[in-house]
Amino acid sequence: MSFTRRFAAHPGALIGLLLLAAVLFIAAFAGLLYPGDPWQSVGPPLLPPGGDPLYPLGTDLLGRDIAAGLAHGARVSLLIGVISTMAAVLVGVVLGAIAGFFGGWVDDLLMRFTEFFQTIPAFAMAVVLVAIFTPSITSITGAIAIVSWPPVARLVRAEFMSLKSREFVQAAVTLGQRPLRIMFSQILPNTMSPIIVTASLMVATAILTESSLSFLGLGDRNMMSWGYMIGAARTMLREAWWLSVFPGVAILLTVIAINLIGEGLNDAVNPHLRGRKD
Amino acid sequence: MPEGDGRNMKSLDFILRRLAKAFFVVIGVVILNFLLIQLAPGDPAAVMAGDAGAGDAEYLAQLRAQFGLDKPLPVQLWNYLSGVLTGDLGYSYRNQLPVLDLIMDRLPATLLLTGCALVFSLVFGILFGVIAAWRRGGVLDSTIMFGALLFYATPLFWTALMAVLLFSIKLGWLPPFDMETIGANLTGWARVKDIAWHLVLPVVTLGLFFTAIYTRLTRASMLEVMGQDFIKTARAKGVPKGRIIRRHALRNAFLPIFTFASLQAGQLVGGAVLTETVFAWPGIGRLMFDALLSRDYPVLLGVFLITAAMVVLVNLIADLLYRFVDPRIEQGA
Amino acid sequence: MLQRIRSACAVAMAVALSVTPLSAQETPQPGGALNMIVQPEPPILMVGLNTQGPTLYAGGQIYQSLLTYGKDLEPLPLLAKSWDVSEDGLTYTFTLQDNVKWHDGQPMTADDVVFTGDKFLREAHPRWRLIANTYVESITAPDPQTVVFKLSKPFSAFIYSFELSSFPIIPKHIYEGTDYRTNPANQNPIGTGPFMLKEWKRGQYIHLVKNPDYWKPGLPYLDELYFRVIPDSASRAIAFEQGTVDILRGGDVEGFEVRRLTGMPDVENSVEGWEMYSPVVFLEMNLKTPPFEKKEVRQAVMHVLDRNFIVQTIMFGIGQPADGPFAATTKYHTDDVPQYPYDIEKAKELIAASGVNPGDYTIRLMGLPYGSQWDRLAEYVKQQLEQLGFNITIQAVDPGGWSQAMSDFNFDLAFNFTYQYGDPAQGVARHYLSSNIVKGTPYGNNVSYENPAVDQLFAEAASSTDPDEVAAKYAEVQQILVDDVAMAWLFDMQNVTLWRPKVRNLIRTGIGLNESMDEVWISK
Repeated sequence: MSFTRRFAAHPGALIGLLLLAAVLFIAAFAGLLYPGDPWQSVGPPLLPPGGDPLYPLGTDLLGRDIAAGLAHGARVSLLIGVISTMAAVLVGVVLGAIAGFFGGWVDDLLMRFTEFFQTIPAFAMAVVLVAIFTPSITSITGAIAIVSWPPVARLVRAEFMSLKSREFVQAAVTLGQRPLRIMFSQILPNTMSPIIVTASLMVATAILTESSLSFLGLGDRNMMSWGYMIGAARTMLREAWWLSVFPGVAILLTVIAINLIGEGLNDAVNPHLRGRKD
Repeated sequence: MPEGDGRNMKSLDFILRRLAKAFFVVIGVVILNFLLIQLAPGDPAAVMAGDAGAGDAEYLAQLRAQFGLDKPLPVQLWNYLSGVLTGDLGYSYRNQLPVLDLIMDRLPATLLLTGCALVFSLVFGILFGVIAAWRRGGVLDSTIMFGALLFYATPLFWTALMAVLLFSIKLGWLPPFDMETIGANLTGWARVKDIAWHLVLPVVTLGLFFTAIYTRLTRASMLEVMGQDFIKTARAKGVPKGRIIRRHALRNAFLPIFTFASLQAGQLVGGAVLTETVFAWPGIGRLMFDALLSRDYPVLLGVFLITAAMVVLVNLIADLLYRFVDPRIEQGA
Repeated sequence: MLQRIRSACAVAMAVALSVTPLSAQETPQPGGALNMIVQPEPPILMVGLNTQGPTLYAGGQIYQSLLTYGKDLEPLPLLAKSWDVSEDGLTYTFTLQDNVKWHDGQPMTADDVVFTGDKFLREAHPRWRLIANTYVESITAPDPQTVVFKLSKPFSAFIYSFELSSFPIIPKHIYEGTDYRTNPANQNPIGTGPFMLKEWKRGQYIHLVKNPDYWKPGLPYLDELYFRVIPDSASRAIAFEQGTVDILRGGDVEGFEVRRLTGMPDVENSVEGWEMYSPVVFLEMNLKTPPFEKKEVRQAVMHVLDRNFIVQTIMFGIGQPADGPFAATTKYHTDDVPQYPYDIEKAKELIAASGVNPGDYTIRLMGLPYGSQWDRLAEYVKQQLEQLGFNITIQAVDPGGWSQAMSDFNFDLAFNFTYQYGDPAQGVARHYLSSNIVKGTPYGNNVSYENPAVDQLFAEAASSTDPDEVAAKYAEVQQILVDDVAMAWLFDMQNVTLWRPKVRNLIRTGIGLNESMDEVWISK
């Protein structure tokens, strides 16, 4: 079975893909769907959902449209998730590849370094980093990246260690190829699938982490993200549930979608797991 | 018995090497954090001056001198490290207490919370994971995996808020916060029951997220093991499925789960920051957050040090257990 | 008369009013425990070293000052049973109460007061230090029950220097010759107050118990006080609803919770007990950063901010729109100042007149890290200023970051509020005197306002002994400051105290719940 067909045979993955496509669509066309600044007051304050067809999801304390916030928030939340993951993957791949390929003291040194980061609870570390560098979209993305690269590094290292003794790599070594070229043209392409699966799950975790940071008051005040919407409104949960429930559901659905896709990818790239039917 | 001696020697050597490594990691974490904190824009002396109502340059200088903040960075680091080596984690100038006292005061609450949450999530995670693997493809499997996905995807604080709304406010079944009934002066068994009662909501909300993780992990791990040759052989021999799962698959699936759990021990403490905030739980997660907000750096460093030491210790124990449970690891060590 | 907060729900108001007890006529019943919330948890209870709200709240039951102040700000006896001010305003003589003992049994004498003013607070208390170094020539104790303060020049507000947060009496026999900050007694505070520290479970509660040797015979009525630590504001509201705590004070819960809880049956509320502090919330515009050095720009900012909207919507009706630097609840406040009604067109005209092109500026706006209402306030101000064409970036800070940025003058726009301490010379002048443009505190002249006329008027008012002259000077100062828009004053903060009706005699003075709760009692 081809990759696409294996993936498509996974109903959960298809649902996930549809959901994510919808979120991406909204994020991409937020500006067209809801032109203007989502921070601007447009209606009466604290309008419950359904109260006015103009604002189907209601308005917040300053009369801002929740639906517009959700659409624009999709951009920010996905952006934080994707960029922090890309940064983490980059760092993880580079360190993991070097450690796994060269081994010896280089490996030892890099793995100790990785352990420092793994020994500190990731969320606690993110909290400290964001507080120290003052909350902004940059510091939040950076902090999430800093706490999430170690598993990637370990994964890549393990892959490199097992692949470097394989025939095709040994052949390249015999041919006198430079280590850097071997690492990136021979070994790395063969480690891509587990990296992609891991990365997809990291995006989901990053979105969750951003929302938790916002809960503690460490969100960017200039970016309307879902996490920020919840963080700003969660104390009003009993007075105005719609302020935090809708962004909460948005996070839930997106994280579920990404996870379903991740699982589908995992099964598609590891066909031996799927082939084993009872 | 020469053979046994050799093995013991090797084990001792292994333990010593692992201890040395653990020590190195903890010291590394301390230095890393110490340097990190120097980047922070908040000046502890300014925060203290704010506490006192006002302040001028002279007053700030007086505070800095008193707490050694005017010394060069390497000197401060050296003082701190030599303190740590003698068991002195410094002095919280804001709370006017030794850092170790502050942490030890709060550590039991966090250990109780995270320990219970760990046990909760392992027990239910493994249980659900095994059921899902056993009933693979069935309705039960789908239900469990959907539930796991749901709790995995729900922000932890959100679960906590909803649980309080439902079980404390609407139904009035469980206390919404605190570790025990304050002012009740309970002792003995009554106090244990009281604390257990207060533990339910925080443990369940913190534990659900990790239960979701362990459920998925157990299921995957079980399926992996069940695909291996020895299980296939057993099945071919006609050994009943239930027995295969109990006798063979489960035992072999445990190892990766425990390894993962030991690596995750620190993450529970991270999650405790949120749980302790919602439930007014007097643990070190909250202590850390308060220290961060008031720039009480010795406390912040101390909490990180203690957490790191705990994580390293848990990993060390896991490593040793691993080694004695599965002697094959020896070759890789 | 109880000044009640506006409530959205008229029926709820009627219910709330109908349960007002006539506590004055009842006979106090001794005994019982009072449950309160201390938020955030104070680092220490030693009032001489930390004057933050939470420390004063719990520490005010342990430590006491010479005087306290009524709701009309009149000085009232506390540890001083009487006092006398000389004709020239240079000599203040206090006579102490009889038989006052420290919690460790030692007698409290005039020596302790001298030590407090001359040694302890002069070193550790920045506000007292400023007063002492500027005005106080000597503090002496002619006999164990008399203390005499001699001033080098008259200071009309000196009588307001003896409140709990300014001048708590500290035991000489415990602190003399020690390092004040690391003295072990800071963990085990010894005061003269009606309650003593029994146990402090950090992260959980502070437990105080009745002082059996309290100097007021037969008092306190209550046996125990619990100050509980509940970090989440939603949980604090639940604690009050479920009866876990008996009192919520201003700031314990957010505005919409106050509105909801005041509507509940069996809940009393009042905004009294803050007269001494009367905080005014303002937006500080750094006069050293363009374009705020231009008066027209600052006036435009005043015009573009709808202070009624801020109070009604963002603060849920809790507060009064401000028209100037002096809180309306304090002495010397005048309405006769230039007015800046909400008027966007006027604001745009002023910007045009200033010659400033707002699009050229990206301005940082620093919020206050105290919860969602302050976040909404920052978002509102951003939205309004963007209507004038400015680019505004909100800087999110935690309390540590806020203190640091303010103390370093590293801000463009920042919110702040400060206590006024009964007299403009104590709590207001500090923000506008050019001599107070000193880095190191968030509560000085951080906007770098410089106006010799204002400096002189404040100085003259402070050193005058004629009340009419003082009032005239202060009226003139207010007119100048408001015309200059030295800051954008937003609103006089109101702090609503909520309590269960069984708690009697709770708010008795202008320092409210920080007052020793010796006469508070619980009806059974």
